[in-house]
Amino acid sequence: MSNWWQELKDTFVLNFITDDRWKLIVGGLGNTIMIAFFAVIIGVVLGALIAVVRSTYDKNGEDMKRRNPVGFYILSVLNVICKVYLTVIRGTPMVVQLMIMYFIIFATSTNDIMVAVLAFGINSGAYVAEIVRGGIMSIDPGQFEAGRSLGFNYVQTMIYIIIPQVFKVILPTLCNEFIVLLKETSVAGYVGIRDLTKAGDIIRGNTYSPFMPLIAVALIYLVLVMVLSSLLGKLERRLRQDER
Amino acid sequence: MSDKALIHVEDLQKYYKGGAIKALDGISLDINQGEVVVIIGPSGSGKSTLLRSLNLLEIPTGGHILVDEVDIMDPKTDINRHRQKMGMVFQHFNLFPNMTVLKNMTIAPMKLLNKSKEEAEKKAMELLRTVGLEDRANAYPSQLSGGQKQRIAIVRALCMEPEILLFDEPTSALDPEMVGEVLDVMKNLAKEGMTMAVVTHEMGFAREVASRVIFMDAGVIVEENTPQEIFEHPQSERLQSFLAKVL
Repeated sequence: MSNWWQELKDTFVLNFITDDRWKLIVGGLGNTIMIAFFAVIIGVVLGALIAVVRSTYDKNGEDMKRRNPVGFYILSVLNVICKVYLTVIRGTPMVVQLMIMYFIIFATSTNDIMVAVLAFGINSGAYVAEIVRGGIMSIDPGQFEAGRSLGFNYVQTMIYIIIPQVFKVILPTLCNEFIVLLKETSVAGYVGIRDLTKAGDIIRGNTYSPFMPLIAVALIYLVLVMVLSSLLGKLERRLRQDER
Repeated sequence: MSDKALIHVEDLQKYYKGGAIKALDGISLDINQGEVVVIIGPSGSGKSTLLRSLNLLEIPTGGHILVDEVDIMDPKTDINRHRQKMGMVFQHFNLFPNMTVLKNMTIAPMKLLNKSKEEAEKKAMELLRTVGLEDRANAYPSQLSGGQKQRIAIVRALCMEPEILLFDEPTSALDPEMVGEVLDVMKNLAKEGMTMAVVTHEMGFAREVASRVIFMDAGVIVEENTPQEIFEHPQSERLQSFLAKVL
């Protein structure tokens, strides 16, 4: 028994204390959180913009064609660009996109984290766009009509009537996307970024003792995800309180 | 009261699939100030399409709609401004589920007529009193019965102080015992001189309240007359057989 305990202690010291290896983990965690945080922001902004373009084209296109042909032409071009973006991003693996960004598009950049933020943000935007668009489409057309019949224009109807309802509908799915994104940043190691996963892997390589570092990394991800989902769960409950 | 019609519809057409389906096939119609025009007819006759065309929720294929002598079919017309003056009540109420009754009623006047919150709420409470729902001001739509929802929908439209109210089968989605309370509100509005266009299957309401009844079938107006004439001396065979089925 004491032998087993001693061994566990030794491995712990070897993997986290010796050479200040815990600093690797902390630094990796910082990078993971930073990449995920800014990528979520980019993803949400990008996704919302694309969803608005796509659903405006679908819902208001006919009306716009009649009243504002130039605007409709611009909208059509934007719509095609969005469709191409969605197809390419959703049709290729995240790791490949990251490597293309890192080794081709931003080959000369020295700011690895920024490249990763962009790559993950642009990737997430495609999924967020479809989540938001699905949310907009799920709202009863009668809500649009009620808004329009009161005299709101298309944009006002979206802002005052539709978006607040959409937000509530998509929150669980959006939460899921954030979780996926957070964990997906673990492939950042492919381009040499020291994120949490990479940090654990570096320790494993140095100490030839895989158990501790990898389990520690897994537990940290688990805690991050649990904190994130409990925060979003609280927000969701607060939004629902309005209704009953 | 001027002798110019509030709404003047001329040769209105709505075609689907390049003319294969004619939902409206040359409708001409006047609605004057203070009139209650009730549109009846079998389903698929185009009555809802006609009503929804009046505020361009449905965009007609051809013809003209003049509201206050302005052609709203002209792409240059600001349709949003016109819709403010044309309240609409839907079959399925379409209240905003995430807002209280009061918010449902005040959001449009506050955002579009630049009314202050106090002003808008005062007006809303006044209107709620007229339909006996002032105690439900802070309820959410999910807490209301169908009849209550529809009464709220009517006063929500009234908050914009419209010149005309359009009713698209306002009682069709209601439990039978709630139809009366909604019709009562509509009767009171008619008595107060509100101009109304009503698509309905409530023949009793048409007979009692309408200044004019329009019978539509297959996208055309088959007969148009006073309720008395329509119900007691129907001219066309189509109307006779329709009435025989619904009365």
